[in-house]
Amino acid sequence: MLVHVPGPWSPLLGRLALSEIPYKNLILAPLFVLIVLVGLALVGWITKRGLWGYLWREWFTTVDHKKLGIMYIFLGLVMLFRGFIDGLMIRTQQMLAVGPGDNGIKAMGAIHGYLTPFHFGQIYSAHGLIMILLAATPLLVGLMNIIVPLQIGARDMAFPYLNALGFWITAAGAALIMISLFVGDFSHNGWFGYAPIFEMSYSPGVGVDYWIWTLELIALGTTLGSINFLATVVKMRAPGMTWGRLPVFTWSAVSANIIALTSFPCLQVALALVGADRYLGTHFFTAGFGGNLMLYTNLFWLWGHPEVYFVILPAFGMLGEIIPTFSEKPLFGYVAMVLATFAIAGVSWIVWLHHFFTMGMGPYVSTEFSVATMLVGIPTGVKVFNWAFTMYRGRISYTAAMHWALGALFLLLIGGLTGMMLSIPAINYMVHNSVFVVAHFHMMLLCIVYAVFGAVIYWWPKVFGFRLNEAWGKIMFWLFSAGTALVFIPMFMLGFMGETRRLDWPFDPHWAGLFDVQEFGIAIYVLSVVSFVVLLFVSIRDRAKERVGADAWGTSRSLEWLTDSPVPFYNFAMVPEINARDEVAWRREHGFLDIRPDHYKAIHMPNNTPVALYIGATLFLLGFALTWRIWWLSGIALLATVALMIWRSAKGDPGYVISAEEIARLDREARQKMPVDGGDTVPVGGFAGGQIMAYSREVSDQDRSHRGPKSW
Amino acid sequence: MSHGHVNPIDHPEVQMASRRGYMTGFILASVLMALATFLVSSHALPPFALLLAIMACAGFAVIAQVYFLLHIDISEHNIWNTVALVAFIPLFVITIGLTWWMFSQLYLRTMPMIPGMPGMH
Ligand code: HEM
Ligand SMILES: [Cu+2]
Repeated sequence: MLVHVPGPWSPLLGRLALSEIPYKNLILAPLFVLIVLVGLALVGWITKRGLWGYLWREWFTTVDHKKLGIMYIFLGLVMLFRGFIDGLMIRTQQMLAVGPGDNGIKAMGAIHGYLTPFHFGQIYSAHGLIMILLAATPLLVGLMNIIVPLQIGARDMAFPYLNALGFWITAAGAALIMISLFVGDFSHNGWFGYAPIFEMSYSPGVGVDYWIWTLELIALGTTLGSINFLATVVKMRAPGMTWGRLPVFTWSAVSANIIALTSFPCLQVALALVGADRYLGTHFFTAGFGGNLMLYTNLFWLWGHPEVYFVILPAFGMLGEIIPTFSEKPLFGYVAMVLATFAIAGVSWIVWLHHFFTMGMGPYVSTEFSVATMLVGIPTGVKVFNWAFTMYRGRISYTAAMHWALGALFLLLIGGLTGMMLSIPAINYMVHNSVFVVAHFHMMLLCIVYAVFGAVIYWWPKVFGFRLNEAWGKIMFWLFSAGTALVFIPMFMLGFMGETRRLDWPFDPHWAGLFDVQEFGIAIYVLSVVSFVVLLFVSIRDRAKERVGADAWGTSRSLEWLTDSPVPFYNFAMVPEINARDEVAWRREHGFLDIRPDHYKAIHMPNNTPVALYIGATLFLLGFALTWRIWWLSGIALLATVALMIWRSAKGDPGYVISAEEIARLDREARQKMPVDGGDTVPVGGFAGGQIMAYSREVSDQDRSHRGPKSW
Repeated sequence: MSHGHVNPIDHPEVQMASRRGYMTGFILASVLMALATFLVSSHALPPFALLLAIMACAGFAVIAQVYFLLHIDISEHNIWNTVALVAFIPLFVITIGLTWWMFSQLYLRTMPMIPGMPGMH
């Protein structure tokens, strides 16, 4: 029943052989040596400092949502860098290869430029997949991981162990795509895959298999994460945190995770069917034997379009937090904002065909999907106006975070308007598969990257207790923006000049000048990467000067700013009682921002566990073994995964309890470390109209009768 | 994590689970899948009838899995499962329905008709 693979296969090693390691490649071989050296240096350094125990205890086995969030962001930044290097290579190839004639670098076997078409194909495929699923997604999931529980006053996610599992499975996916650099090849048919090119007869190598299993792992990790987020927001809100008071970022996380939960399974099914074609010899997506190629495209974008909203909605949520803070005004039109978020999420389900208007299903279907696509513009417009009205007559401070947020708005405008153009079938037929489309979605995805950088700067002091350097944050912003303009304005122009996407050899000499401009833009991006490193270095060096208290910006609004900076591992010494929509702003206005709890309760916390890491490792092995068709290893890895799952579920985790005295001590210490001293007053304050509760009592029911008005 | 005092076994969702339910769901789903595979690989029916038959199998398998394995129904003590169902039905109708529509329009233009399909000339 198994498909017969071309080329050698052995029961022990499957398709794996020494010749699969590209040690003769002039780019990969030195890179491999470099990575091994850097890796060895790192391992040596950690060993010398005796940090393994610390890493294992505090990071690898953690179930703390903040640490997992930091690891997600770290993973996202590393992959962002890898994807950026891919982008740089793509740009360089096109700049070198443009024009007629034989201008290739012979030593590398290229007729045009420096990359062979097969190698070039792998680079753009990996670039797209990495940027969307291993850079943007982990960055956003990481930020949601850190912030959502804090914004709703929870101690952790609803399922801390599941959270760790989601992270390690995603990391396994990242490891799989990274190893494809040095062992075998990666897929060469685009990040979304073209049917039937990914079928065995047209792609006999292991590249497509790497692509399948990487995507499956990431999809699994993200789906598990989305379940966790939804359960957390539904079940773990602090007393008084009604739905009407949920911060907008949390709302956006809810909507995004509903999208993820409902759409990622489509991707998993689509890829499982591709896998069935390649491994079992079925014909779901072949042209003959009853298969249908367009069915693949359909299934893929059934996930793919909701996915793009899964990544943009949290970014919108971040803008919704940053802009009010630095405008010193509450968000304009909270209810409209939340409704718009859900309208976008809802509409994102009925527009997917706009990715293949040119399929040929005729005017009626096209019209429906065209109109539906344009509908997205309405709630998006509502959001943009809400942000604009928030800033209108606000007291705006142009901090680095605000720079990134405003930049995101500009990109959203360009991306949205070009999206509107693309959603008109008559226009789409002209520019589909041209770099105009590529420029469109890069505007959108860069809007996300801008929002993420803004959010990292904005929430950094909450997580680490000190602010990032403002000057370097702005320098990086301007360099990054210059790079964006220089790369993507020419790309829009090239789209109109008829350049199709994914050209390893751009043949038209008229394009040459614009390629040079783009290459210059990439060089400026490189500078912005450097300035990011400087930003981190300078900020960490000067951390004592930038040490902040709970309310790091002095004008922040939502609940996460109530607890200490850096956030203690139990989040809130006492679960706060929520009195208003912008709780921290409300407390500041009424003068009891500094109220500390006067009594403490024991806290129940989950234990660390290495099982999530082990399952990540076995799933990585499974993906690797399936890619290379090493059946015995696949079997063992699968069995080990299932056994670990069952073992852990049967064992459960009783957790541990921190006593009230211990919490009191920890809270006192945390307070002493913070520059802004919290007063020692009782946690009850007064305001015109009654008495408020600052902290929930977490005690028996008869105490509840003493509560002041919960809302007003 | 302040919800640790409750024994997870006492949760109504967990109480609802029963070995019989899971076994029934598993066997039903497996049988339906095996049936569909058999029908297709043995070409037991003419093409269009085959299409309808495996669609019916798929439909029943969905119901079996949703009901027996996921416990999604419209009982009152299970409000979030009902919410999931309410959210799921429109999505199901939209995705399958719109796909159906777009492919029927596509086939009109690009494909020879499947033998046995009504309206074929
Ligand atoms: C106002 C909202 C938007 C509209 C009207 C819109 C419209 C479109 C259309 C019609 C296409 C298909 C172009 C073609 O292939 O011919 C497209 C492609 C794309 N859009 Fe958008 N879009 C919008 C927002 C977004 C957002 C928010 C994102 C991501 C964050 C995004 C990411 C993409 C991607 C990744 C592709 C192309 C994928 C590929 O072909 O590789 N779009 N968009
Ligand atoms: Cu789309």
